[in-house]
Amino acid sequence: MTAVVGRAVVGTPTSRLDGREKVSGEARYAADWPFENPLYGVLVQSSIPSGRIDSFDLAAAESAPGVARIFTHLNAPRLVPMDSPPLGQTFLPLQSDRIDYEGQHVALVIAETLEQAQHAARLVRVVYERGPARIDFRAHLTDEIEVQGFFPADTSTGDVSAGLGGADVKIDVTYRTADRHHVPIEPSATLADWRDGKLTLYDAAQWVHGVRIAVAHVLGIPLDDVRVISKFVGGGFGCKGFVWPHQILAAMASRELGRPVKLVLSRAHTFTAHGYQTASEQRVVLGATRDGRFVAIRHHSWTPTAISDDYLETCATPARASYASGAIETRNRAVRVNRGVPTPMRAPHEGVGAVAFECALDELAYALGVDPLEMRLRNYAERDPTTGTPFSQKNLRECYRIGAERFGWARRSPVPGTMRDGDTLIGYGMAGAVMFTVRMPSTARITLHPGGDVVIETATQDIGGGQYTILPMIAADALGVPVERVRIVLGDTALPDAGGTFGSSSTMSAGSAVFTAAQELKRLLGGRRSVSQPLTAEGKFQPEHSDALSMFTFGAVFAEVHVDRDLPTPRVARITGVYSAGRIINPKTARSQIIGGMTWGIGQALLEASELDLGLGRYLSKNLAGYVVPACADVRELDVTFIEEVDEHASLLGAKGIGELGAVGVAAAIGNAIYHATGTRVRDFPIRPERLL
Amino acid sequence: MIELRLVVNGEERRLEVDPRTTLCDLLRERLALTGTKKGCDRGECGACTVHVNGRRVLSCMTLAVMHEGDAVTTIEGIARDGSLHPVQRAFVEHDAFQCGFCTSGQIMSAIACIEEGRASDPATIREAMSGNLCRCAAYANIVAAIQAAAESR
Amino acid sequence: MIPSAFDYARPENLQDAFALLAEHGDEAKLIAGGHSLLPMMKLRLATPSILIDISRIDGLAGIDATRDGLKLGALVTHAALAASEQVRKLAPALADAAAQIGDTQVRNRGTLGGACAHGDPAADYPAVLLALGARLRIAKKGGETVKEADDFFRGMFETALEGDAILTEIALGPAPHSAYVKFPHPASHYAVVGVAAKLELQGAKIASARVAITGVGDSAFRAKSVEKALSGVDAGDAAAIRSACIDAAAGIEARSDVFASGSYRAAMAAVYAARAVTAAAIR
Repeated sequence: MTAVVGRAVVGTPTSRLDGREKVSGEARYAADWPFENPLYGVLVQSSIPSGRIDSFDLAAAESAPGVARIFTHLNAPRLVPMDSPPLGQTFLPLQSDRIDYEGQHVALVIAETLEQAQHAARLVRVVYERGPARIDFRAHLTDEIEVQGFFPADTSTGDVSAGLGGADVKIDVTYRTADRHHVPIEPSATLADWRDGKLTLYDAAQWVHGVRIAVAHVLGIPLDDVRVISKFVGGGFGCKGFVWPHQILAAMASRELGRPVKLVLSRAHTFTAHGYQTASEQRVVLGATRDGRFVAIRHHSWTPTAISDDYLETCATPARASYASGAIETRNRAVRVNRGVPTPMRAPHEGVGAVAFECALDELAYALGVDPLEMRLRNYAERDPTTGTPFSQKNLRECYRIGAERFGWARRSPVPGTMRDGDTLIGYGMAGAVMFTVRMPSTARITLHPGGDVVIETATQDIGGGQYTILPMIAADALGVPVERVRIVLGDTALPDAGGTFGSSSTMSAGSAVFTAAQELKRLLGGRRSVSQPLTAEGKFQPEHSDALSMFTFGAVFAEVHVDRDLPTPRVARITGVYSAGRIINPKTARSQIIGGMTWGIGQALLEASELDLGLGRYLSKNLAGYVVPACADVRELDVTFIEEVDEHASLLGAKGIGELGAVGVAAAIGNAIYHATGTRVRDFPIRPERLL
Repeated sequence: MIELRLVVNGEERRLEVDPRTTLCDLLRERLALTGTKKGCDRGECGACTVHVNGRRVLSCMTLAVMHEGDAVTTIEGIARDGSLHPVQRAFVEHDAFQCGFCTSGQIMSAIACIEEGRASDPATIREAMSGNLCRCAAYANIVAAIQAAAESR
Repeated sequence: MIPSAFDYARPENLQDAFALLAEHGDEAKLIAGGHSLLPMMKLRLATPSILIDISRIDGLAGIDATRDGLKLGALVTHAALAASEQVRKLAPALADAAAQIGDTQVRNRGTLGGACAHGDPAADYPAVLLALGARLRIAKKGGETVKEADDFFRGMFETALEGDAILTEIALGPAPHSAYVKFPHPASHYAVVGVAAKLELQGAKIASARVAITGVGDSAFRAKSVEKALSGVDAGDAAAIRSACIDAAAGIEARSDVFASGSYRAAMAAVYAARAVTAAAIR
């Protein structure tokens, strides 16, 4: 592939073209669409984690004012089974009396007003027969199973046991991370409109075509009769990526009742409606020579999955691509528990794994008395250490150098607990970041109108990543027109398919399709600069997998933490991140993506945990007071730099993905900084102040 | 149902409301002012922030019927003659949002924060804006936008 | 949106409110700012059949400085308390607490009386009112009573306020050497640990002290052993203050939750007690 896009607009910091709509309240999110005479849906969720529904008492609920219908497994239509993905879980709603997890939807109440539906939902009485439940995966690690995830469960290079046997220094540590939730500020919402045999869904979706395929399939409707529209999505972070039971139920209810149905999840219901990021138990064993060179790396991970579905959070992945070592062994296993199905969350896999792996590496560096940055440089991987193939592009050495300089790493005193300002302990920590590059087949259409306006059509989604702005920038450069003349229509299955907005893939994938369409349009124009009739061209991006290259994005993250000695609450004073992530199309929105990711890292390090009642299988807090995410006061200085580079192998634009990369390595850098500040190594994330007492 | 008279974005509205209806639901479901968002319905996220009689409040945490005669301003009511409020402009300029869902609440809160005289420096702004969650985490840019808007007054 | 149906009434004076309370008994709930009650109603932890909105009753929203200190109407908002010069001067601990409740949006609606009547074990005001020796005026049909703060806060969500009564006013003596500091929960901003201290100084020494702690036990409580230990301590001697505060949570079964364990709360009670006393001493 060759990167041939021009640079007039691309690379210039550009304010969001959809900014005005967003700051004026005009941007229409799923629940905002005006609907005439809609019915309102409210879900009822199971209160037990395992067993069956013995019976319902619906008398009070059905006779409550305004109730149109109450769907349960006893009267809901049968659905057609399907794989995951596109489904988030293959366990379809309201199909049997079986209960697999607390918070499973067991009924859907439909009424004339929201207040009436909510009231009636509270009157639904369910009699359960409780079965045995397994909640705590950590108590059942010996019942591990091998499941198929998005990445191989195991990899092995060289002889790790032999390497460890010959190591001068060895560490063997176990890290834990917590269950986390996406909690976008927009709760998922589906407005289903069944009209004249056709279904339109106004949905909060990261993948409109996925919703269309799944809903059509499970309801047995021809694909052409389903349209899904997501013009604005109020954040997703993974939980709106696949298709979940509530979307199917809203569509089903509208078809059964012949009226529009508005189903907006309550914040509490979101906690079991569309996946979560699993907690993890991760054992990292590292062996090195006295001069700090790896001779063996072993990373094993255990995470929970559901009874019905196989999901594998492959935490033991960073070691596959990060550092040079003759022997690397990674292994990921799952444990079935009576909980909902996990799903990817910013940043999955490497994002969870880096917490353990990059902290363990820090421990080894201290054990050796080697500067943690120097340790990483000594083990710099010029080639993919697992496959032996070259990287499509990697400028991580530059990231380390620039990051260390911008951060002032040289000011770090090597001994923990020796940097202070009065009663404040100061710590410096760093970590590497690596993220596998995901690309999606994508298509796009571009039309040049008489008068010079250009319209892009592609069914990608802008969930905040900036595609409303980035794709017009690409088209503007490719066509040589000002970006103000380019308009984009997206988030609608009536448009050409462009894959899901997940895996940090949209800009390079949809962007390459837009670029190809623009090239085709130029060819059709044959030198003309204007048209008398609209002229349309289509473009396609079909990423080709090659075993000859390894494709990742990289970063180096540095954090300064302040710890009040008496409390001892850690506060992140500043973070510097430098990234090797392909061409940056819009530096303005790209920086926003990264500062967002860094802030997620602060949450992962210090705040975010969904604690479970291990008896009831229920999250203790299904709200934003108990599930604590970073607030404005938690974020101070964030410093972002991108290496100027073009990865010609990744996409036609030379761009890669950054949506998740910013969230990788941050928690580890913070954990390492806390150790440096206090001399206490906490291996249980998030790091609670009392663990430092 | 209870009769209610409100002034919303300068316009008098009279309607009959269910006492259960929060101000947030009234704005969204009855008056089609969907710029005000519901993120948690429990006063934890700030997405529903509006001004009542000039002060910022959480519209999900207050009953519509308690606002007889009150003046309510929403995100739809702050632009003047088609030109954006300076805080709206600063949010665009500083990329102080990503998905945009919390933005209405952030901006209503930000305008009040400046009015309250709490936009003098980043640390003060951070504290004054901590009732508005942004999961995309545009906080650093939100602070910059508010500081710039306050300075340009 | 609230799941259960209820009626709504907005009396214009106390007599009408009493009449409604008499008519509806336990079925009625008073509402002012609603920031304690509405979350309970949304969760159906409270399901009144009628809400009596007292927010427009005249004369209950004043901040009055008198010869004896401050008289504060129950309807005064947190924001008004935090902004009041008189409160800042005469009872700085109360201004400290008011300025740290929730976020600005909450402070603009939530009221002093409502927060006190709610009796939340992690609320800020109870510690301040205990430390400052506040008197709470309670009105009901046919008369008024005044309760000392020590007798008002009785346990988790439990106060001396009876169903037919309305908390109308809180009176405080002058407490210029007072402060309230807290470790806020990162999301709710309720006190994980909150400590209020009020000192009488004699030259450089602490003549007497009142110290009260919230967030730690089932209800806010006075740390009487700390109060005793502080007597005679040099107000500028940080080490002596710390050592006097060491047993701040002694004898209390400290609450545990996912954010902070009981032992951590107890440890922090000592740290924050010392900080509160130190802050009060330099006022």
